[in-house]
Order: sequence, then structure tokens, then C-alpha cells
Amino acid sequence: MSDELLRAPAEAKYAEELDYLESVDDGPKPFAWRLSPRMVRLFVLGSERSDGLDREIGQKWFGDRSFVERAIVTLASDRGLLLIGDPGTGKSWLAELLSAAISRDSTLVVQGTAGTTEDHIKYSWNVSMVIAKGQSRESLIPSPIMTAMERGVIGRFEELTRSTSDVQDALISILSEKYVSIPELDDDNIVFAKPGFSIIATANSRDRGVNDLSSALKRRFNFVRIPVVTNKKSEAEIVRFRTAELMRRHSIELDVPPTLLDILLQSFADLRAASTSATSDDEKLESALSTAEQIGVLEDAILHSQFFGDRALKAETLASSLVGSLARRSPEDLAVLNKFWHGVVEPRGRKDEGGPWEGFLEGGREAIAKLS
Amino acid sequence: MSEVGVDAATGPFGALREQLSGAAEEFAGGPRGLPDILAGLVDDVDRALREELEIFPVCHHSPASALAMARRLREKQPRVIYLELCEDLRPLLDELRNCRLPVALQAFASELDGFPQDQAPLSVVAPITEASAEYQAIAYALETPDVELVLVDRSSDHVFQWQPLDLPDESPARSGEDEEDGALHGDAVGIEIGDLRPGFAELEEHLLRHGKVRHWSEWWDQYVEQPLTGADYDTYRQVMVLIGSLFRRLRPGDDRRLTTDEDRERYMWTRIREHLASSGADPSRCLHVCGAFHASSRVEQFGLRSTAGFDIAPRTATRWQYGLIPSSHSAIEAQFGLAPGSVSVAATTWEKALKRTRVKPFRLAGQRGTRKTAAPKPAAPAPSAPVADRLSGFLSNAPAPDGLDEAELLGWSVDIVRLARRNGYLSSTADAIAVFETSMLLAGLRGRARPTPYDFQDAAITCIEKDAVPGRRDVRRLCEILLGGDRIGQVAYEALPPLAKDVFDRLRPLGLALDKRQIQRALLDFATEPDLEPCSDLLWVLRRLLPDDAVRPIMGSRRLGERPIQESWDLAIGRNQRHLVELGYEGVTVEQVLEQRLRKSVHDPKATAATALEAVEESLLYLRSRRFTNELGARAVELLSSERTVDDAPEVLRRVRRLLTHYRATEPALPRWCEDFVTTGYAHYCTLLPTAFTDDDTGVRQVAAMLGFLVSLESLAISLGCDHTQLELAVKQSHPEDPAKVALLWAAESQLGLRPLADLRRRCDDLLDNPMLVGAFPQYLSGFVQALDAVPSLSPLVVELLSKAFGRLPDTILLPWLPRLITTLKEQAAEMLPVLIGEADRTFPATLPAVDAWTPPWTPSPEPPGSLRAAPTNTAVAALLATHREPVSATAALLGHDPSWPNPADTTATALPPAVASLIRAHPRTAEAAAAILTP
Repeated sequence: MSDELLRAPAEAKYAEELDYLESVDDGPKPFAWRLSPRMVRLFVLGSERSDGLDREIGQKWFGDRSFVERAIVTLASDRGLLLIGDPGTGKSWLAELLSAAISRDSTLVVQGTAGTTEDHIKYSWNVSMVIAKGQSRESLIPSPIMTAMERGVIGRFEELTRSTSDVQDALISILSEKYVSIPELDDDNIVFAKPGFSIIATANSRDRGVNDLSSALKRRFNFVRIPVVTNKKSEAEIVRFRTAELMRRHSIELDVPPTLLDILLQSFADLRAASTSATSDDEKLESALSTAEQIGVLEDAILHSQFFGDRALKAETLASSLVGSLARRSPEDLAVLNKFWHGVVEPRGRKDEGGPWEGFLEGGREAIAKLS
Repeated sequence: MSEVGVDAATGPFGALREQLSGAAEEFAGGPRGLPDILAGLVDDVDRALREELEIFPVCHHSPASALAMARRLREKQPRVIYLELCEDLRPLLDELRNCRLPVALQAFASELDGFPQDQAPLSVVAPITEASAEYQAIAYALETPDVELVLVDRSSDHVFQWQPLDLPDESPARSGEDEEDGALHGDAVGIEIGDLRPGFAELEEHLLRHGKVRHWSEWWDQYVEQPLTGADYDTYRQVMVLIGSLFRRLRPGDDRRLTTDEDRERYMWTRIREHLASSGADPSRCLHVCGAFHASSRVEQFGLRSTAGFDIAPRTATRWQYGLIPSSHSAIEAQFGLAPGSVSVAATTWEKALKRTRVKPFRLAGQRGTRKTAAPKPAAPAPSAPVADRLSGFLSNAPAPDGLDEAELLGWSVDIVRLARRNGYLSSTADAIAVFETSMLLAGLRGRARPTPYDFQDAAITCIEKDAVPGRRDVRRLCEILLGGDRIGQVAYEALPPLAKDVFDRLRPLGLALDKRQIQRALLDFATEPDLEPCSDLLWVLRRLLPDDAVRPIMGSRRLGERPIQESWDLAIGRNQRHLVELGYEGVTVEQVLEQRLRKSVHDPKATAATALEAVEESLLYLRSRRFTNELGARAVELLSSERTVDDAPEVLRRVRRLLTHYRATEPALPRWCEDFVTTGYAHYCTLLPTAFTDDDTGVRQVAAMLGFLVSLESLAISLGCDHTQLELAVKQSHPEDPAKVALLWAAESQLGLRPLADLRRRCDDLLDNPMLVGAFPQYLSGFVQALDAVPSLSPLVVELLSKAFGRLPDTILLPWLPRLITTLKEQAAEMLPVLIGEADRTFPATLPAVDAWTPPWTPSPEPPGSLRAAPTNTAVAALLATHREPVSATAALLGHDPSWPNPADTTATALPPAVASLIRAHPRTAEAAAAILTP
């Protein structure tokens, strides 16, 4: 059991599938890619019968097929890929899947924060070693991006816009010249990128204003905007897929009744519609109401039922988990939820006497009362 | 089926049928109907191809269809073409040559007979683009002598007979991005030749998923259009019928649309047989052009040999009007739910295919916006070859890709970057390279040897679109523009209805190119060019009839009693051609249309006297027809006398006053209807007054307007024979309870001399003094304010009351009432404010320091009664009174005054104020000189 991971990276989790795809892949592969672009697409979006494979490949990312295709061709071209979208739209998950499929390594990640420095992007020094042996390649600590360059694989940069502009601009030379020079060394002082190197960055469109990208950097990235999933059918699929995965991770065997899933999806759809029509920030929830948020709500409800409930998911639990996750600002969010519960859930609950909507109504009311 | 079954094994499709049966057996675990469907597909193709009358299956906006049509027509040289298009649209086709395509054939009915009236107007449009098979057929038939073009589909009337009107139109209309162009067809029902699309969403979704394409247009382009562009005629025909049959067989059985489609097929075949029988044409020299869907029809009436009858229901009595209206690619896409840009892409593909295949298309002589081509050379008609199976080859081979060539892609990549830069994007040559490379990569990923326009579009978005759109258009839109852009058709002068021609003729003096889509500015200076006045008249009528943006005055207005000196207009008639054409369905001139509309508006069941007066006014402004104006006026009288409510009284009063002023200023005598209106109104409002006063639903404003009518038009009414006592009685019978109405009644009584002003003032003072009633004072005051219009002599009192209210009302009552007062005054400013402000100006001092010293005129004078006697009097009168003191003293005693007479000596002494006396004393010579002049 010691080698079990809480969350395995995609390349480990789908190692078997990737091996299989690599074995049957006879398409042309750009650079040092492990799979051809078509197989990468197939890995991400799942197989159809018409693909003529012996086994079925499950769909792992749900969304418009052209987004994936555009992302793949960008990586095969000269430019970096910037996935931009609201929080919880699956940007990082897509980035992970793509790097796993292309390079079999999705762990070369730099996390952009206000504290990210240029060292995190290029390299830093092992201070004690420098003192002992002086500056040399051995005492150099390459960043994940530099490692990716050396190995000719995909490097990832999460939340690019969270890091400051000067740090972001360190990427400009990496993306255009494709090398990093190490002026501290006298010889062997340039690390050239090998074919196959590219960068997948993600950026949150809600934080766009935090550290806007310079136009020089924008020019070196192709932007692929991932929209919030509004199609109820594919959203249901995503929620089901991710929840099943989470339950497997927690070794929980619990049944999610389809009616409850419907209630969850419907409530989010209604809240989203209300948010779009709201005129001021106070009238809308702070949450982006993304699919990830729904998964969070459902996961929370499942865990609660598993450990504190009677091991069956109930509408009441789902409601209180929904209220708990979405009520972030004390008067505003609660007011919106309260309005939603009275205006939308209550009529449904009354109509659906004894049904799940009634339980949902009760649970939500209680949770709102507790929080106010 | 039995007929087909006989030679099923031996026919040309025997092998294919066997192969498909084999496949069906293989999928034995699948759906039960599968073997039937697969075998049925082949049967359908077999049957359609063996039909004696050659069937040419088409798909809408398909360059491949158009290309195959052009080839086939040259080869076969048919003498009769049967076309799937509403049969009543035939006369319009001859006008097509005068238009720039795309245009739409339109059938329009505004006066319905046989359909529910509330559905009016009914409108059907059939857009025609150049890159379509139907245009090829039409052009061939009209340009070649002795060729007959017969439209065989159900008439426009049947379109609505067969489509339940309570159900929404089935065309999946999309909310266009470019509303302006997307709305070119208005809310018409669209019909298309060769509508070919999966009948249910699941099938379409399945095809898109497996085809790895985003939308239907792309699927069609990749899997049917491109492989068929270069295909021979047999392959083309077989594949199209196969697809039609597939979509037909995979339709849900209870599909209402299918029933309609089958009826249409029965209709078409019945009409074809009728025509053949009457004309005696040789079926082998005829061609039936219909959608691929209909080519695979299985109705009993299918085929020339069929004898099955079909009762064609007669048309309703609805009168249909026909015309051509401009259309556009985006309007067609919006109307038929096609992907944005797909019709433009089809047009580009058509041009390209023509160049490559060197096929000479047919074009109508004189067709605008197209190049001239030589007339088709008559070639010997080719004998029709026996049917051979081309389907097996087509189905078993992957489509041979036919995408962009490198030079074209390169050109596009450079152009899109240039276009993007012009629209604010920071794109550069590097982007052009990236777009080119990405297009190639995308095409490779999507399994195409060469990129399609759709790949190019995706690539451009990937490489150029960043986090925000800098200008008005995003990259997707720019690509659409680049790939041919939206083409907007135009109906030329010759093809316009008489009304539109008349409009263009009459506006010619303006010297503007009104057919252009740009906004044109017209400047009319009547002093230098008096002959432009008729243009101005017409523009005002158009302003009244067309949508707001079509004809817009920038400077100038048209109101009763005004004469224009200069006007300037923004004209966008070219852009609103459809509206002008649709006006043409209503009449021959705009004046006639306006006359009809005005007449209709006054005879509407909801018409009121106010609407009739409005119509009278419009008729005076725009039509200047005394006869018609009088007719409308007479209707106004009729409406007024039959009205039971007085809701419109303010409007009626306002309008009738304006009209009376107009007539008094321009005519020697009032028209008869005006006199009738005043007398009828006087009697009518007198009768309704007591009820209006007590009725809670009637507002103060309405009652005030009634009083306004009665009082201000009373002298005229009496001169026309009305009786004043009628009004007096009506007022006496009124017993309102609402404070505001009570105040109105008091005002009316005061006007009629039934209540002295002093009494009115006393009552108001009582109200202010009574703590129980003071709360209602504002309401009384509101009533008085409303009464100002009717009784302007009351204005000093209203100013006084307002002043008192501000001074004496407690804040708790005054403040909540103020906003209402302000809004009332604001709303009805035109009527009341001038009177009120004039009076206030007379009453209140003009400067601030004067306010301190000011005493309101209504406060009792603080001076002793004695000073009254010092009032200047005419000396002659004084002398007379002094000589006959007794009657004066008696009168004074009667009035309660002390009848004491002043000493004459005192009067002279006190006559001069001390300041004047001292002045005279200081300058005696001036006074003496003045006295010398004055004394004779």
C-alpha cells in the first residue's frame, strides 16, 4: 500500500491507456512527442467506434472538441499555449492531460503566485554547494521549465497572471529564443531547449486585471478560451465522472441518485442565470458557479453523508453543502441564496411534496438559518 | 416495394444490396429495423433512377448541385423543367435578371380570408443565390428559347394551409449576430429548394461527432459537397438520393413535417402529370428538379406511371401579393439555421469550382453583379445511359479531400493578419506564419490532406485572438468577411412594385443615389428650390410609413400651421428596400397606403375619438385631401357620440383645439364635421359630467379636460345652437365626494357665476383653519390646479392658495404632497404652467429685497378705512356725488359703512404727499410753468 498515491498524475493514472495508444499509434509524431496529435486528441476526448481501436478509451475532458484540437496544434507549433477561462472550467486538468499524453510527464509545473520569482522559472543555486565547490552545473538547481527544455517535454505554468509582470516576462526569451543562458558560468553556460519543448500556461479570466500580460508575451502564446460548461448534458457527465473519481479515491461506495444530480445541476443553472441578469456585484454570488464548484458541493455532501450521515446521499445534505459552499460573503451571498430558496426552490418543493425537492428546500432553509 | 423487389437481385444495385444485407446480418444484435433500412436505401435509389421522368436531386446552397446541374443541362438540353418551388411565384422569376443576387421571392398577404385575422400579415420568402442549382435551372430555362419552366410545388396559400398557424415556424431561426442584415427577411416563413438535413437532432449529433466536425455545414461540405464537386452525374445523382433516403428513413414516424413533405410530393407529381397530359411534352426531354429528400419519396403518387390521385385543396380567398425583396447570405443563414458564414463559403467554393472545372454556368442576361458569359451553345442532347451502380465505389472510398491550395491559404493568412491589424489586433507577419502553420496542422489532425476554410478560421482564431477583442469585430467575424463576406442582394428599379418605383421617381429631384445601402443626406432649401416641396411631402409620408431608421429628419418638423423653410434628412431607403416593397403590396402610391391605413385605424373596433382626431391631423399634414379629412372627421364625431368613457378627454381636447385653431387660421369657415364635433361634444360631455364627477374610475384630469372642452368651446357651441342651461344643469347635478373633484366643481361653479369668488376664498380659508380637514387641502389644491385650463380666471386664487399652502400647511402634509404636485405640473406643463407662471409673475415681487416688504394682495389692508377716501377720484364724479349726497349716504349705510363726508378743505390739503409738496416748494418755477401750460 505504500506506493499508493492520494492523487496520481495523469500519466501514472492512465499509464496503461497511454501505453496501449503508443503501441497502436502509427501517425506522424511532431518532435519528440510520445503520441501523434490524433492519438492525443483521442486520449483526451475518448474513442469512438469509428476510430477502430480494440479497446475503449474513456473521455477525460468534456467540452468542445475544437478547443482540444486547437490546443494540440498550438503545442505542435512554435508558440506556447495559454488556456484562459473562469475558475473551475477544467483548464489545469486539460493542461495535465495534454502534457501527460505528449510527454508522459505532467509534473513539471511552476505555480504562479505573487511570490514567484524569476528563479522559479529559470534556475537557482544550491547555496551550500556553491560555497563548497563554486558555481557549476552541479550546484545549479534547474526550474521545472528549464528541466522541460533540457528534456524536450512540456512545461506547465499554472496561474500565469498571478505572478508579477517582470517574472512573466522572463518567459518571453524562453518562448522565442528557446534557450536560457547562465551568465554566472564561464562555459557550458547556455541551456538549449530540445525539440518537443513547449509551455502550457493557464490563466484565470476573472483575475485578468491582476497582472495583465505584456503584449510581447501575449504574442508568444496562442490563447484558447475555455468557457463555463452550460450544456446540461455534458455538465452532468463531467460531474458524474469527477465524482466517481473522487469516491474511488476516498474508497467510498455511495450511490448518487440521478434526481439529486438533476437538482444540483438545475440549481446551478438557475443561480447562473440569476448571476448573469444581476445588475450589481451585491446581487450576484461571489462564486463563479463553475462545474468544479458543483463537483465540490457534491463531494462535500458525499463525504458528509459517508462519515456523519447514514451512508446515503440525501437532498437535505446536498442543500446544506450547497449553501455552505456558496455563502462566502456574509450578508450579500446569504441574501442571494435566501432569495433563491424562497423564490425558486420553495415553489418546486411545494409541488414535489415528499420528493427530493422538498428535502432540498428544508435542508437549505436550515443551513441558511444557521449561517445568518 | 414489390415492383422494386422483382429485379432486386438482378438490377444494377444487386451487388450493393447484397453487401448491405450482409452488413445488416453482421449487426444482427442491433436495432431491429436495420436490415429494412439498409435494403430500403438501395431500393429508393434504384426507384428514383429508374423513373421515366429524370429526377435531378438537389441540396440547397450546394455548389456541387449547381455544378452538376449546369453540366447536366448542357448535356441533356431539356425542353421542360419542373422545379420544386411554390407554383404561384412563377411570374416573379422573369424579374430576377433585374436584381443583384441574393434576393428572395416573396408572397405576402395582409388581408386574410380563410386564415385567422390575427396572423396577418402572412409572408413567404424563397431566397435565391447564384451558387444554387435552382438558379442554374431558372437561368437555363429563361435564356433558352422554347424551354418551359414549370413550378410544381404547393402555392404560398397552401404553405399556410398545411402549416398550423398556432405552431411556431419550423425553420430553426437563429438570433443573428448582425441583427441588421440577419433581419432582412423580416418574420417571413422561409422555403427552400432542397432542404436536406437530418430529421432529428440525435442523428445530426451522431454524424457531427463521428465526422469530427463542429456543425452541419462543415459536415456537409466535407463529406458530400467536396467529394461530389468533381463527380460524374450518375454518382452525383445516386449519392444525393441515397442521402435523401437515409434522412427520410431515419425520421421519427410521427413527424408532422414528414406528413407535409409527403403531401408536397403528391402535389408535385399530380401537377407534373397534369402538365404532361395537357402539353403533350416528351417525358424524356423533361427534368424534375427537387430536393434529394423528395427524390427518394415513397408516396403512391410518385412517378409518371402512377395513377393515384390527390385532391388538391382550393386556395383560400386570401389575396396574395408578389414581389422580390433583397436578401443576404447572413439573412439566409439566420433563417435556415445554417452556421454563420456557410453560405458565403458556398459562394466562394462555387467560384473556385467554376474556375477549376471550367464549367460554364448559366446566367440570366443582364443579371447584375455577375460576369457575362456566352450563351449556351446548343449541343446535341446526349442519350441517357443505362443506370449503373456508382454508389458502391463512392461508399467504399474515403472522400478525396479537396481543400485549399497552398497559395490560396498563404494569401488568406496574410490577408487575415492585415484585416486583424485594421481592426485593432496587434497581429504581425509572425501571426500570418503561425496561422498558415496551424491551419496545416489542424487539417492534418482532422484527417484532411488540405485545410478547409473552417480549419483556416479555427487557426486564425487560435493564433490571433487573445484575451479581449480590441475593436468591434472578433477574428471569427473577420474570417467570415475574408471568406467572401456577407453579400447583400438588391432589387433593381425595374423589378420593384409600382409604389416603390413611384417613390424613386418622385425623389429623383433630390439627386441622390437612393438605391445605395449607405445613408444619404438630403438638404432641402425651399427658398431657393421651391420645387423640392413635393419631395418633402413624400418624405414625411415615408417617415410615417417606414421604420424609424429608413427616413429620418435631422432638421425640420411638420406640424399644423407650420411652413418649412429648410429641411435636412438622413435617407436609408436602399437599406430598407424590403419595407418599401412590402408597402407596395398595399397600394400603388404611398398616399394611397397611408389613406388605407388611416381609414383602417379609425374603423378599428378599438378606435376612439382621439385616434380619429389624430388621423384627421395626419390626413391634414400628409394627404391634404379635404374629402378624406372630412370623412375621418365625420368618423370622429361618430366615435365620440358612441363613447361611454371619458378616458381620452384630455387628448380629445388638445387635438380638437389644435384643429380648430388650424381651421380658423386657414379656412373661411369651419368644416361641417368640426361644428358637429363641437356640438356633439358639448352635449356628450354635459351628459357625462355628473357621472364623471362621482365615478371613482374617472380621474381628475379627465373631468378637468371635460370642463375645459365645455367652457372653452362653449361660445362656439352656443353659436351653433347649443344651450347654456344644459351645462348649468349638468354642473348643478354633480355631487362629487373626492376633494379634488369638489374643488373642480367649485371652480366650474365660479366660472358659471354660480359661486362668488369671495365664497370660494372663504371656503378655502375654512379648510386651512380646520385641523380635521387641513390634511385634504392639497387634494383640493390639486383640483384647482387642474381647473386652471378650464377656468383661467381662477389663476389669482390658485396662486394665492398655493402661497397659503406653502405658508400654512404643516410639513407633515406639505412635504409628501410636493413631489406629486411637481410631477403633475411637469406632465401637464403645456396646459397649466403658462397661466400659473404668468399669474405668479404678476403677484410676487421680482427682486429679493422687495420680498421682505411685500404684503400679499389678498391679506386685508392694514391701513385705516379713512385712507380709502383718499383714493383718487374723478373730480367731476366727486362733485356730482357731493351735490347729491343722500343716495350715496343711503347706499353706504346699506353696505355697512359710515356715511360721513370729508371736509373739502382737508382733501386738498392732504392730497399732496409731503415729499411732493416740498419738491414743488423747492422748484416753484417749474410748477408755475407747468401750470401755465395746463391752464388755458
